[in-house]
Amino acid sequence: MSGSVSRSTQHGIRASIRRGYASFTGRHTIGRALIYLLLGVYALGAILAFLWVLLVSLKSNPEFIGSSPWSLPKDWLFSNYVNAFTIADIGAFFFNSVLVTAAATALSVAVSCLAAYVIARIPFGWNQIILQGFLIGLMVPPILIFIPLYTLLNQVNLLNTRTGLVLVYATANMPFNIFVLSGFMKTLPTELEEAAAMDGATPFETFLRILLPLCTPGIVSVAVLNILNNWNEFFYALAFLTDASRYTLPLGLYTLSQMAEYSSAWVTLFAGLIITAVPMLLIFALLQDRITEGLTAGALKG
Amino acid sequence: MFQRARRRLIVPFLLPAVAMFLVFFVYPVVQTVYISLTSWDGIARVKHVVGFSNYSKLTQDALFRNALQNTFVFMIVGGLILFPVALGMAWALHQPIRGRRFFRFIIFAPAVLSASVVAILWVFIYNPTFGLLDGLLGLLHLDFLQQIWLGDSNTALPAVIITDIWWGIGTWVILLSAGLERIPREIQEAARIDGANESTLWWRIILPLLWDVIRILIALWIIGSLQVFTLIFVMTQGGPLGATDVISTYLYSTVVQSHLFGYASAMAVVLLIIILVLTYISNRALTRETHEY
Repeated sequence: MSGSVSRSTQHGIRASIRRGYASFTGRHTIGRALIYLLLGVYALGAILAFLWVLLVSLKSNPEFIGSSPWSLPKDWLFSNYVNAFTIADIGAFFFNSVLVTAAATALSVAVSCLAAYVIARIPFGWNQIILQGFLIGLMVPPILIFIPLYTLLNQVNLLNTRTGLVLVYATANMPFNIFVLSGFMKTLPTELEEAAAMDGATPFETFLRILLPLCTPGIVSVAVLNILNNWNEFFYALAFLTDASRYTLPLGLYTLSQMAEYSSAWVTLFAGLIITAVPMLLIFALLQDRITEGLTAGALKG
Repeated sequence: MFQRARRRLIVPFLLPAVAMFLVFFVYPVVQTVYISLTSWDGIARVKHVVGFSNYSKLTQDALFRNALQNTFVFMIVGGLILFPVALGMAWALHQPIRGRRFFRFIIFAPAVLSASVVAILWVFIYNPTFGLLDGLLGLLHLDFLQQIWLGDSNTALPAVIITDIWWGIGTWVILLSAGLERIPREIQEAARIDGANESTLWWRIILPLLWDVIRILIALWIIGSLQVFTLIFVMTQGGPLGATDVISTYLYSTVVQSHLFGYASAMAVVLLIIILVLTYISNRALTRETHEY
C-alpha cells in the first residue's frame, strides 16, 4: 500500500509533521471550512434564540407582539423581572427549587457514598448482586411508579410537601450515583485502607478521612449532575405538589405559561424563563469539565 | 484482622440506601403491578382484583394504540435524526478546529435547561403569529413554508421531535466525543498515511471502534424516548386531537381525568415490558466482536 502514496500525500505528510498536526490540513481545507460553517450556523441560531428571549423579557407586551423579534426594547423594562418575582411569585418557585435541589442532592450523594464504599471496597459476596439491584432503578421510568408513590406519600402525610419530593428525588438519583461512585472508588489503590489500619485508624475513620477526600472529583461530578436533574425535574413535582406556594421553578413556569395564555402577560413569562435558565447555564459554564466527566463515567463504564 | 473490622461497616453503610430504595422504588414497582390487576379508582379503600382484564382492555383501546404508534414514531424518527447529527457534530469537534470549547458549550447548553423551559421556549418559536420560526421563514420569503406547527396534526409530532433533539443532542455529542477521544491517534494517522480518505477512515475504522459506545447510547435513547412526557405535556398536552399523545401522556390523563388507576397501572407495566424487551433486543442485535486496541 505504502508504495502507492502520491506525491501530494507525501508532501502533506511532511507538512503535517512540520506543523505537528494529526491530519492533512492542506487537503482538507474545504472540509474544515464546511465544519466551521455548519457549527457556526448552529451556534448562531442558538445565540439568536437566547438573545430573542432576553430582549423580549425586557420589552412590553404590545411591543413583543408588534415589533420585530430582535429590535431593541424601547424602554428596558427591568420591571418585568420585578413583576416576575412579586406578581408571578417566581421568588417562591426559585426558593423551593433551591431548597429541594440542595437537600435532595446532599442526601442522595451522602447515602450513595456510603453504599458505594461497601460495594466497591468491602468484598462480601453480595457486592455484584446489590449493585445490579440498584442498577435496575435506571430502567424504570417515573411514570411507572408515581401512582403507588402518590398513595404512599399520602399515607405518611408527605404528599404536597417538599420533604416528600426530596425523598423521591434522592432515591431516583441513587442508582446512577452508586454506579459512578463505586466505579470510581474501585480505581483507588487497595493499600489505602491497610495503611490507615496499621496507623491505628478505625474503618470508619479510614473511610471519612482518607477515602472520601480522594473521591472528591467523582463526588463533585455526581453532585453537579444531581443538581441539574433535581433543578430541572418536572414530572414528580407535577404529580405530587398541589400548593402553588410549594411549586418548584419548572412547574411554576408551566403554570405561568398556562395563565399567560389568558392574560397575555408574555414578557413576564420570558423573564421567568431567563431566571430559570441562567443559574444552570452559569453552573454549566463554570463546571463544564466536571459535568462531562460525570456523564462519561456513568454511560461508558458499562 | 482489619478486614473483619471493616465488615462491621457493611450493614450500617448499606442500610440508608437500601431502605430508601426499598421504600421509594421497589415497593412502588410491586404495587403498580398489583394495582394493574385491580379496578381501583384511587379512592376506594378496597381494591377489587379483576385479573388481566385491564390488559385485554388495552388491546382494544384505539387511543392506546394511537399512543403506542406515536411513541414508536418518536423513538424511531427521533433516533434516525439524532444519531447521524450527533455523530457528525462529535466528528466535527474531533477535528483540529478553533473554538472547540465554545461550540461544545453551545451544543450542550440546552441540555442543562429544564424540559418545561425548553418546551415553553419552543412553543413560542413555533407560534404562527409572533414566533421565531414563521418570522424567519417570512424574512427569507419562504412564506409558503409557514405552518401552525403545533396546531396541525401533521406537523405537531415532527415539531416536538425536533425540539427534543435540539434539547438532548448535547449529551449524545459529549458521549460520542469521549468515545472518539479514546480511539488512539496512531490508528487514524496510520490509516491516513496508508492513503485512506475520510470516507474509508470513517466507515472502516472509526465506526467499528466506536460501536460499543453507540450501542450503549442506542439503549439509553430507547429507554429515554419511550418515556418522553414533559416536553409533550407542556407543548401540546398530547394534541392536537391526539397527534402527539404518547404512552406516558395518555397514562397521565387516564389517571388524572378518568381516575382509572388500575387501567393506567396496566399501561405502565406494558411500557416497562416494552422498554425491557427493546433494550434487550437492541443490545443483543448490535453486539459485535470488540476490537482490542
